[in-house]
Amino acid sequence: MWLRSASFVLDQRQQQEEPSSFFYDPRFYDPRDPAQLPPPSPSIDPMDQNPNPNHGISAYYQTRAEHHAVVTSDWLAQAQAAVGRDAAPSSGRPTAAASSSSAARTGSVGGGGKPFSVIDEFNYWRKKPDLAEAVAAIMALAAVIRSSEATTMMELEIELKKASDTLKSWDTTSISLSAGCDLFMRYVTRTSALEYEDFDAAKLRLIERGEKFGEISLKARRTIAMLGQDFIFDGCTILVHGFSRVVLEVLKLAASNRKLFRVLCTEGRPDRTGLRLSNELAALGVPVKLLIDSAVAYTMDEVDMVFVGADGVVESGGIINMMGTYQIALVAHSMNKPVYVAAESYKNDSCELLQFARLYPLDQKDLAPALRSIDFGVPIPSGVEVETSARDYTPPQYLTLLFTDLGVLTPSVVSDELIQLYL
Amino acid sequence: MPDVQALVNDFVLKLKRRKIEGSHASAQHTAELLRSVISHQRMPYTNQAGALIDAVKAVGEQLIAANPVELAVGNIVRRVLHIIREEDLSSTATAIEGLGLSAGSDDDDEGQHEDRPALSAAALAAAARSTLRAPSLQTLLEDIPDSAAAPQPPSSGGDSEGKSKSADKNIRSRKLKHDVIEAINELIQDIDTCHEQISEQAVEHIHQNEVILTLGRSRTVKEFLCAAKEKNRSFRVFVAEGAPRYQGHVLAKELVSKGIQTTVITDSAVFAMISRVNMVIVGAHAIMANGGVIAPVGINMVALAAQRHAVPFVVVAGSHKLCPLYPHNPEVLLNDLKCPSDLLDFGEFSDCMDFGSHGGSPLLHVVNPAFDYVPPKLVSLFITDTGGHNPSYMYRLIADYYSADDLVVKRRSTS
Repeated sequence: MWLRSASFVLDQRQQQEEPSSFFYDPRFYDPRDPAQLPPPSPSIDPMDQNPNPNHGISAYYQTRAEHHAVVTSDWLAQAQAAVGRDAAPSSGRPTAAASSSSAARTGSVGGGGKPFSVIDEFNYWRKKPDLAEAVAAIMALAAVIRSSEATTMMELEIELKKASDTLKSWDTTSISLSAGCDLFMRYVTRTSALEYEDFDAAKLRLIERGEKFGEISLKARRTIAMLGQDFIFDGCTILVHGFSRVVLEVLKLAASNRKLFRVLCTEGRPDRTGLRLSNELAALGVPVKLLIDSAVAYTMDEVDMVFVGADGVVESGGIINMMGTYQIALVAHSMNKPVYVAAESYKNDSCELLQFARLYPLDQKDLAPALRSIDFGVPIPSGVEVETSARDYTPPQYLTLLFTDLGVLTPSVVSDELIQLYL
Repeated sequence: MPDVQALVNDFVLKLKRRKIEGSHASAQHTAELLRSVISHQRMPYTNQAGALIDAVKAVGEQLIAANPVELAVGNIVRRVLHIIREEDLSSTATAIEGLGLSAGSDDDDEGQHEDRPALSAAALAAAARSTLRAPSLQTLLEDIPDSAAAPQPPSSGGDSEGKSKSADKNIRSRKLKHDVIEAINELIQDIDTCHEQISEQAVEHIHQNEVILTLGRSRTVKEFLCAAKEKNRSFRVFVAEGAPRYQGHVLAKELVSKGIQTTVITDSAVFAMISRVNMVIVGAHAIMANGGVIAPVGINMVALAAQRHAVPFVVVAGSHKLCPLYPHNPEVLLNDLKCPSDLLDFGEFSDCMDFGSHGGSPLLHVVNPAFDYVPPKLVSLFITDTGGHNPSYMYRLIADYYSADDLVVKRRSTS
């Protein structure tokens, strides 16, 4: 039996609805004149033109899959599971199971009878669909303060420091997590909260501020959505890469303002973020099309604009985002399509800047690699290396505009703002 | 103030009928009209700046709606709003008592009507921006919750003080109005003299024996070239005629009368001639916030030709053409379709215009767009009355001239 990749599962669903398929256009396989019209792909046997007439799947890739046998049955099972599963919010982190043990080991702070785990707290907040990761981190740290039995500011600080270190080491790949932790730590250690006479009052104030941050973030996202949706015009096609709540918010607002547009989602291997986004958009009634990640250049000519989120915005005005953003930006740039970035301002990479003086990446390898296990579905032969970095850096010259809660900014404005902040 | 309303209606009508065209003329008229609106505005006891801003916004909304493509009108409205805010801020800063009354009340209002769409988006962005401009990032945590959590009623504290200081306040109110009108006069003067200020820089840019190319006719370009000639630079100018209005012919005549060596070429000859050119200097209709340019049709082609041959592409424009908006889909939304009579005489294609066949629509269409959009990457330099600037620097000038609250000129429905 011939086996399919994840994207083919979706392809087939779509094609079952509309049976006419480009690949089966009989003109391409004209048997009467094989010399004048060579078969379009080497693996198609001219004697056997329609090996699989029932489903509209490219014969080239069928045979290729058979020959190379890269696709296994459990990959298929996984893909189908992923399609079914993506309704569940933010599940399926490969590290989640592994870390729960480490959480129990290191994460419990605060003495007393009931063990309190920052990571459990963090995971609880992270599961909430509309909370960004940085906010979840701040919420978790606020919870640490609440459950803490410290009696002096110093003790509290040490506890918080431990907790934030735990959080950061739990997921080193997430910039916004560490940004959130650092922001809150900085706030606790250096603010006017310390000037309170009464320790309990200071504690209350810190908790209150931490919880307000969620509201700030939501408000920021709404602002961005309002600014960004102006750029969506009727009848446009938008390419989206990765799952970003801000981008989703922009698209949601545009859809609720009765704008007519179409969204192309990349699949977002290996964690299939695109499937999740397409699921959300389909629920809104926005026409969505899924692409495999390598189909970006193929579809770029029908795209009017590219929308991406950002894990972090660096001082050069470039962004750090999910792997694949750079190549999409390059393709878009070469075809003169605008690339819009939606990012909240706390993602401007302040904390990294404070730690390393400045983050001004000159190339991809300048960033500390955020590794992520990639499941190829089959055992990788020993001695074969796998590129497991989860994010890449997109230089500012490939970005058109950034939508932030500070307004619509060009990349050069971003660097100006950041330089002003951290002079 | 019925007479002001009549003036406004008159101007709106003129804008709608395109009786007033060109960014210079419309900017000047707008500024003069707003000056009379302000001078006729009766000043309330408290929150005078708010009253002025509302009055200007009410008029500005009508003016912008009358001809949305004439961006200079909106620019001047926003400049005037910015002037009012600045003057108010400086006067409240000097009179320490009333501080936080007018300036503070604006912010609170925006906080309350936050659910209203575009306006509050820009306002919130502005608020976030101002907090972030403060010394450190923790203001992000400190300040925003403050204003959101405690929108203290602006009148309660202000009124008691306001009554005791009413005499003082009266003087201050007259002073505010006076200051604003003064500042608007300055603005009008700036608009008038922008050509001189731009052309003062001409000798720095035009060198001996250079060849300059331009397209169409722009008063700024003409004065720029003439100023270089007056400083005894000798250079040649290629003028592309600028179809369909052929304003280039007019410019060529004007340049020749000043003694500048001039060559008229067709628009389609730009690519053929560009390799001999040292610099392209053109005028603009508007400069957008990202550094893109809205310019007379044909200029994008010139910019592309200049880029192909690595010829510097210089845009000269007064600062009243600086628009704080970002262009969305500028080729369509910021364009004006002119009358086809520029292209062909009446009756010339009458046999193609047979409405009887093909279901009532003719086979021939004539489209005459007025503007081109030149993306910022094609522009080498902007020369404004404040000097030469890179396209990526435009946002900085905009931050100087406009306040971010005014990007969307629309009155709040509650006020």
